[in-house]
Amino acid sequence: MSIEALTLLFFGSLLFFLILGLPLAFVLGGVSVIFLYFTWGFDSFYMVASQIWGTMESFTLVAIPLFVFMAMILERTGVAKDLYRMMHLWCGGLKGGLAIGTLGICAVFAAMVGISGAAVVAMGTIALPSMLERGYDKSMALGVINTGGGWGILIPPSILMILYALITGVSVGKMFAAGIMPGILLMVLTAIYILVRSHMQPHLAPALPKEERGTWPEKLRALRAVLLPIGVVVMVLGSIIGGITTPTEAAAMGVLGALISAAVYKQFKWNILQEAAIRTFKLTGMIMWILFAAHAFSAAYQSMGAQELIEGLMAHIPGGPWGIIISMMVITFFLAMVLDPVGIMLITLPVFMPIVESLGFDPIWFGILFVINMEIGYMTPPFGFNLFYLKGVVPPSITMKDIYKSIIPFVIVEIVGLALIMIFPEIATYLPDLFF
Amino acid sequence: MGVLTAFMRGVTRLNDVIGRGIALLVFAMFAFLILEVAFRYLFNSPTVWTNELTQMLFGIYAVMSGGYIMAHRGHVNVDLLQSHLPPRGRAVLDIVTSVIFFIFTLALLYFGVSMASESIASWETSYSAWNPPIWPVKAAIPLGTGLLVLQGIVKLLEDIAVAFNLSYYTPEEQKKEGEAL
Repeated sequence: MSIEALTLLFFGSLLFFLILGLPLAFVLGGVSVIFLYFTWGFDSFYMVASQIWGTMESFTLVAIPLFVFMAMILERTGVAKDLYRMMHLWCGGLKGGLAIGTLGICAVFAAMVGISGAAVVAMGTIALPSMLERGYDKSMALGVINTGGGWGILIPPSILMILYALITGVSVGKMFAAGIMPGILLMVLTAIYILVRSHMQPHLAPALPKEERGTWPEKLRALRAVLLPIGVVVMVLGSIIGGITTPTEAAAMGVLGALISAAVYKQFKWNILQEAAIRTFKLTGMIMWILFAAHAFSAAYQSMGAQELIEGLMAHIPGGPWGIIISMMVITFFLAMVLDPVGIMLITLPVFMPIVESLGFDPIWFGILFVINMEIGYMTPPFGFNLFYLKGVVPPSITMKDIYKSIIPFVIVEIVGLALIMIFPEIATYLPDLFF
Repeated sequence: MGVLTAFMRGVTRLNDVIGRGIALLVFAMFAFLILEVAFRYLFNSPTVWTNELTQMLFGIYAVMSGGYIMAHRGHVNVDLLQSHLPPRGRAVLDIVTSVIFFIFTLALLYFGVSMASESIASWETSYSAWNPPIWPVKAAIPLGTGLLVLQGIVKLLEDIAVAFNLSYYTPEEQKKEGEAL
């Protein structure tokens, strides 16, 4: 069989079994074993098994359960509630103020944890009812939470960046540093959108009445709420960027910070910690099994010699190197509609990375574009995790359709941000060059 | 209660107990890493064993999770098609695709066993400065995969019961209890 037909059959059968509903890990693993059998023979799977062993021994990956654990604990403490109260007092007087404040809290949360779910759940339960009560438009309130929650994977720390670093061989610290400015950029862009929109249509996001805005002493006292989160952020990012610890040890520092927060908010209880540990186990295990299976996938992919074929195909894309980068973005965007981010990463990166590097692009910059793309994937149907998280915590009067409708303008803002970072790569690469 | 029913309950129970236990390893990984940082900066004496031990614990933690997550329907999948099907249709589909599941897991089990038995035969160590035995971690690969295969058999039996209306298994409302990133 020709390479073209074989490659088509390979990706076709992956897609086929995915649509039939078999979990991604087993689709990747099973289909790859079959193709490995026909190309390199059954014994080549021994190599896959030893690669799996290599993954189990990776010290970098130990950061994943710890960052997840940290997020699961922080989600249950009162940190988010206090932050919201502070923000309410400080920004409430502004048109669209609560929405912008919610964005700010999402960014702080993103800087503490490496996943997107924690902020969506926390803000969906705290900020959403409060915004709706004060006459905010449904779409505005839902969209803000959805978009802000996605930053968890862009603003460091980030589980997705750890995986990206592992696959592509760039340093985790550099990836983390590269995420900071794009995160701030997206926050500013979204805030500008809210400000403009709420000034043109004040009924969408009204300012709070005078009596609810709080007095200065109240405002100052509420500021205490940021101390703990800032402490946690400094513990984690400070240890990595300051070169004090490895990212993995920094993750452990983050858990320590989360445990301290839990104790401060009197949530240091065995049942809370145990539940967090079990949820961590489920998420980490799921990621790791996809990763195990992905070794089989990349072995099968290499065994067929499909790499040259894809590179050859890519050469036909009009627009030169930029045309290729943009089409990669489009491919990941569409994949994000049906697949989860870890899966997309493990399927596309072995194919994309050699091309990106041979074209002379910076893998760190590409990684940031990739992560933002995944983030948009989180927000968009049908497979956006944030949508489901949000649906899980909103009052029944809000339908999935409301949530779908709410994201459109916010997705456009994110795409503008993505384009800006493509045009000005320094937004992503300046800090890593400065720190490392 | 028939043999099949007992087997199915037993396996699910086993995976649950093991999973709940292994999940607690995250506390140990956390503690060892913090200990290392403390030793390095507070007492100026970095250890040779903490990082490697954490790494080994993580290997066991990761590979032993498969069966537990399967029991809780936590492996992420695409349910575009499945959500439009009646339970019977879904069961038939799952029976068909289970072939792919077993091809992967049985291949992994086969090579996992051979890798682990080689390692155990030589009481393999890591040859690092600390040089701990690593055969227990390698043995976890076939063990964890075996648990996953067992849970896969349970899932297959459930699907067969639903598809052909057999009496050894009555489906309860199966909720997905997975976690997403």
